Amino acid sequence: MGILKKVYNWIDVRIGAGELVEKELTGYLLPRNINVWYSMGSILLCVLTLQIITGCLLLIYYVPDAEKAYQSVNTIMNQVPFGWLIRYCHAVGSNMMVMVLLCHMLSVLFMGSYKRPREMNWLSGFTLFNLVLLICLTGYLLPWSQLSFWATTVATNSMGSIPYVGDYMVEFLRGGKLVGPTTLGRFFALHAAVLPIVIAAVVGLHLFILQRVGISTPPFGRDETRITWKGESYAYESHAGGIPFFPNYLLQDLTSISIYFAIFMAVVFFDPYIFYPETSFMPADRLQTPAHIKPEWYFLANYQALKIFPSEFLGIMVQAAAMTFLALLPFIDRSPERHPLKRPLFLALAIGGILLWIALGIWGHYS
Amino acid sequence: MEKQGRRRFLITCIGGLAAAGTAAIAYPLLTYLSPKKAVSTRRAVEIPETDISEGKAKFFEYEGKTAVIIKAKGTVHAFSAVCTHLGCIVQWEKEKGQFLCPCHAGRFSADGEVISGPPPRPLEKLPVAMRDGKIIVG
Ligand code: HEM
Ligand code: FES
Repeated sequence: MGILKKVYNWIDVRIGAGELVEKELTGYLLPRNINVWYSMGSILLCVLTLQIITGCLLLIYYVPDAEKAYQSVNTIMNQVPFGWLIRYCHAVGSNMMVMVLLCHMLSVLFMGSYKRPREMNWLSGFTLFNLVLLICLTGYLLPWSQLSFWATTVATNSMGSIPYVGDYMVEFLRGGKLVGPTTLGRFFALHAAVLPIVIAAVVGLHLFILQRVGISTPPFGRDETRITWKGESYAYESHAGGIPFFPNYLLQDLTSISIYFAIFMAVVFFDPYIFYPETSFMPADRLQTPAHIKPEWYFLANYQALKIFPSEFLGIMVQAAAMTFLALLPFIDRSPERHPLKRPLFLALAIGGILLWIALGIWGHYS
Repeated sequence: MEKQGRRRFLITCIGGLAAAGTAAIAYPLLTYLSPKKAVSTRRAVEIPETDISEGKAKFFEYEGKTAVIIKAKGTVHAFSAVCTHLGCIVQWEKEKGQFLCPCHAGRFSADGEVISGPPPRPLEKLPVAMRDGKIIVG
């Protein structure tokens, strides 16, 4: 222990590590009624880190070439020691990240944490949500399986219904008239280079804003659940008399992360196939579309919505409007009340929206 | 005292768990990253005799490394073409009947002996035989 203490001291007198620990860990106080939903962000940080690590490992053996991609993924699965583990972690991780992301968003919605002064937390978070969906979509093409190929064909095609520019946009996204080697080049660059950097940067922004505004007080178990901040001057939301982040809340974070990883590992080891339909084990064939091509579960609702509208353009516009509405929610829902039970209109709309999303998804799955 | 013992016990348990966890991650990771073992089934290389004439050399791959055969004074010699100094591939100088390593100007004779330069040992000789108009190395 002696030597560790010496090293710590050596660093401390130079960069004031102790002061930093005091300010950001032991002296970083959180509301006394903080709950488990505030640990979703920490889970997300861990999942994101794991995605980056497993992604880098896959890059060692993956070949981004339409002729070789499928074979290289096959090699990773069957030849490289533990290649299957790395690949399943990456694929299952991407799916479960979307789930945790949804939990994080829903908790923020129901607790009204998106309201002022946290509009920017919400906007940066919503941007992250879209970026994560985009990185999932681009990653989906890389194994160059039948599923990848046709799912990408359908997903890019839906842009084509936009008047005037639609056709050009489809061609631009694909780098040609059809999905092909040029598409793989684009999607690979986006998936492995551009999007990770952008996501990391936006996560940084998200955390910076969080740190400046301060964590919100959960609206539960208190009488006063309205926002008191008037918008006249900057005020960090401190929680005098609250519980310290270290060690108290860190323990909650670690508990949530452990539970997450227990579920994650159970899926990876016992049933990774829930995320892999049969068509993902066939090499892409541009001359033959397999039956029942379906997107991943989180796009099923969008997929079904596109189908039920009489015109595809209308379908896209309705979805774009819904997403814009969500993005601008803090500016639309301006009441200071945060407790969900005291916001009946919000509660009805939110639950209705979730049920609609689930119903559309199930319909899409079985249609 | 009682409390101290319990604390030490818990710390040991956590340390043990952490070590087991680290091993569980490190083992797959290291095997994933480690290079594939060369399939070392000693496979002989066959080269048609007509491929090489007096004073000429031919380079080929043998057991994952570069090898060379030369024909000098009617006999065929086979060597590993990997320079014994720092591992560059030697060249055959037909006019001089010598091997030259381009990296640090090491020279070897037609039977692989060091003539000059830094190489510490002669070129590694490979077993060679002739059968049915074929040169068999290995
Ligand atoms: C890569 C994805 C994301 C990461 C790594 C991330 C990380 C975090 C972390 C660590 C916190 C602080 C603790 C907590 O409440 O969990 C936080 C807070 C917050 N996040 Fe996210 N987040 C992500 C995506 C999102 C999304 C998609 C939204 C909503 C559209 C969002 C909205 C918010 C809001 C409003 C807060 C403030 C909560 C409060 O102060 O009570 N985040 N985020
Ligand atoms: S490597 Fe051949 S002389 Fe140095």
